[in-house]
Amino acid sequence: MKRSYYGVIFLSLVLLACIVFTQQVVNAFFYEQYVKVLVFAVLNILMFPLAFWIYRKERNVD
Amino acid sequence: MIEDNKDQKNRKPAVPYDEDNYTHNIRKDNERKLDRRSFMKMMVGAAGVFAVSTLPWGAIAAKHLAAGDKRTYPKNKITALSDIPVGEAVEFAYPGEHDSALLVRLEEGTFKAYQNACTHLKCPVFWSKEEGELVCPCHHGLFDVHTGKPVAGPPKRPLPEIELAVERGTVYATGVKRYEA
Ligand code: FES
Repeated sequence: MKRSYYGVIFLSLVLLACIVFTQQVVNAFFYEQYVKVLVFAVLNILMFPLAFWIYRKERNVD
Repeated sequence: MIEDNKDQKNRKPAVPYDEDNYTHNIRKDNERKLDRRSFMKMMVGAAGVFAVSTLPWGAIAAKHLAAGDKRTYPKNKITALSDIPVGEAVEFAYPGEHDSALLVRLEEGTFKAYQNACTHLKCPVFWSKEEGELVCPCHHGLFDVHTGKPVAGPPKRPLPEIELAVERGTVYATGVKRYEA
C-alpha cells in the first residue's frame, strides 16, 4: 500500500510556522514593537484556514 | 470485550471475507481513532489553538497602537537615601502596584533600578551582593546590574530599566526606559 504523507508533512510545516510566529509575537510584544506584533499575530491566525484547507485537500487521499 | 474475542475465535472466518476494506481484524474500540486523517485533524486543531493564543497579544498591541506612544509615568517615591546603604537593594513596585521592581545602590551616588520580573519566566530577580549581579533563583539566570542585560542562564531579553531621580535625600522613580532593539 502506497500512501501519501503530504498532508501530514505540510501540516507539520504549518505548525512549525505557528510556533515561530507565536514566539515572534511574544518577543515583539516585550520589545514594544506593536506593529510587528500585529503582523505576526495576523500571520498566525491565517495559518488556521491554511491548515484547514490542507486538511480538506488531503483527507481523502489514500 | 473479552467474551467478544472468544466468540470471534470459535467462529470460522468466511473466505473470502464479505467486505472489501480489510478491516475485519480491527476490533478494539477506537482502534481507528489515530489514523492519518484524525492525526491531521488534530494538527489543524493545534493550528487553531496557536491562532487563538495570539489574539490577546494582538489585541493589547492594537490598543497600545491606538492610544499612541505617549505614555506617561507617575513620579513615585521609592525610598529615602538613609534607608538604603551602599551595596544594598530595596524592592518596590513601579509603575503599577503589581510590577515589582528592584533598586540597587551601587555606589554612593549610583543607583540602578529594574523591573525585576525575570525575562525568562517571570520569577522575581534579586540582588546578590556577593556576586555583584542580579540573580534569578528559578533557573539561575544572571543579569548585569549596570545594563540589565542577561549574562548567563535562560533569559534572553534585558530587564526593563527604570529611570530614577534623586532629590533632597529621596530616590524617585520617574519612568520606564524603552527597550531599544
Ligand atoms: S525564570 Fe528566571 S531564569 Fe527562568
